[in-house]
Amino acid sequence: MAALCWRSASRPLWQIIARQGTLKAGVRNLSSSTQRWCAQKLRAVNSPSPWVLHGAVCLQRLPVISQDRNPIEEQFLDLLQQLEQEKSMLSDHELRLLLDSDRLSRKQEADYGSDDEDYESQDIVTAQDLEDAWEQKLKQFKPALRIKASDNTDVSSSECFLGDSLVLLVKQDVGHQNVWLLPQLQWEAGETLRQTAERALSSLPGAELKATFLGNSPCGFYKYQFPKNVQTESRIGAKVFFFKSLLSGGDCSSLQKDSFAWVRKDELQDYLKPKYLKQVKRFILNL
Amino acid sequence: MSGIVYRSLIQLSSRAALTSGCGSFVATPVRQSHWFSSVLSLKSSAPLRAEPKKKKKVDPRRELLVKERLKKKLKKLEKVPPELIPVEDFITPVHCFDKTRIRSNPLLSFEESERRDLLLKEWSRYKHSQHQAEMTAIKDAIDAQKQALEELKMESEDLYKAAVSPDTNLFPFTHQGPCYTPPIPNYDPPDGKYNDITRVYTQ
Repeated sequence: MAALCWRSASRPLWQIIARQGTLKAGVRNLSSSTQRWCAQKLRAVNSPSPWVLHGAVCLQRLPVISQDRNPIEEQFLDLLQQLEQEKSMLSDHELRLLLDSDRLSRKQEADYGSDDEDYESQDIVTAQDLEDAWEQKLKQFKPALRIKASDNTDVSSSECFLGDSLVLLVKQDVGHQNVWLLPQLQWEAGETLRQTAERALSSLPGAELKATFLGNSPCGFYKYQFPKNVQTESRIGAKVFFFKSLLSGGDCSSLQKDSFAWVRKDELQDYLKPKYLKQVKRFILNL
Repeated sequence: MSGIVYRSLIQLSSRAALTSGCGSFVATPVRQSHWFSSVLSLKSSAPLRAEPKKKKKVDPRRELLVKERLKKKLKKLEKVPPELIPVEDFITPVHCFDKTRIRSNPLLSFEESERRDLLLKEWSRYKHSQHQAEMTAIKDAIDAQKQALEELKMESEDLYKAAVSPDTNLFPFTHQGPCYTPPIPNYDPPDGKYNDITRVYTQ
């Protein structure tokens, strides 16, 4: 650009005017050359990448019951309840209890005159009787147990560890190795990666799991290289893109017992390889 | 001009017809109109009988004036702004100020108050560490997603665009949160009976 300007400055005026067109043409040439260079870069990108794409699904079963409290949380809860009690006023029910107890104590005194009693304000059913009746009614209701007997043993059921969020792990054959991982499938042309992940979930043999996928974008990725003997020019390795989803229904009891597991975040290290685990742990939130 | 003459002729002829008509029926006591009283009845004219006169001009004007006065009064009444509906949550009910309801709390000992203060401080420390852990976990998840999107962009633009496009089927999203005990399968909850005593105000 600067060289062109110098050349035009050294020429006479009419030639400069004539050159104006060529200057612009020169500039246009430069810009077109940059465009060509960009197009080449894009073409380089558009050429098939050496990474095979996989779509995987991170299916989470959110907690069904609230977690047990820590000791400090228990203490603080007690303190809050005490404070609330101290700062509050007496309710109608408590006033009634007090009046009834006063009346009882007056009745039991030696100099009790039943004529002094105000019969109109008395009730046949005292407040204490009401309390007893309510307690009896509560005992009739049997809530479901928080901890089931099969808690520590059965990993294949999604009903254990109701207080934690569980992740579905599947044992699959990847490159001649039987490995625990999140369900994944190879990407096929013509579909988005989210559809690959949905296919991966629905293609698990025998599973009827209903899941809601949270958004179109992947939440994490993991790339690994194939072993040297399998590598070709166009297939160096694979990139796995994980998609998050929440379990909304269905069960997978018809799957083989050992081929899948519902695992908490702390237990993931028992199943997954270290590098895979490192990437997967980033997006699995245990809040 | 011709129209006026015509109308006056008609009036004359009608009066003539009336008089002739009345003249023929003069013997009967039936009156055709109160202007023409019969010969046999008492000679009494309309003012003596005290019937209300038909005042054709002044009465409608008077009625209009009365109506206008009423309308003005209505407008003055309507100018008053409508009473605001009271928010019942902001009005403390009277029975809360009842002195018989005040609890008699025992005074706190020094140890108890110390224990409470120390517990509050420990709680704030615990909550702070919990918050920090949450924030780092969220940051890690966001970083992982960003990295995944960058890698996807390097792979193919189409897939990246599909990933970045918003998902319309996601919202409205509902999920049942955790309760204290798990849900009992096939449980039939009893119907709750209640009397609705909310006050409904109209302006």
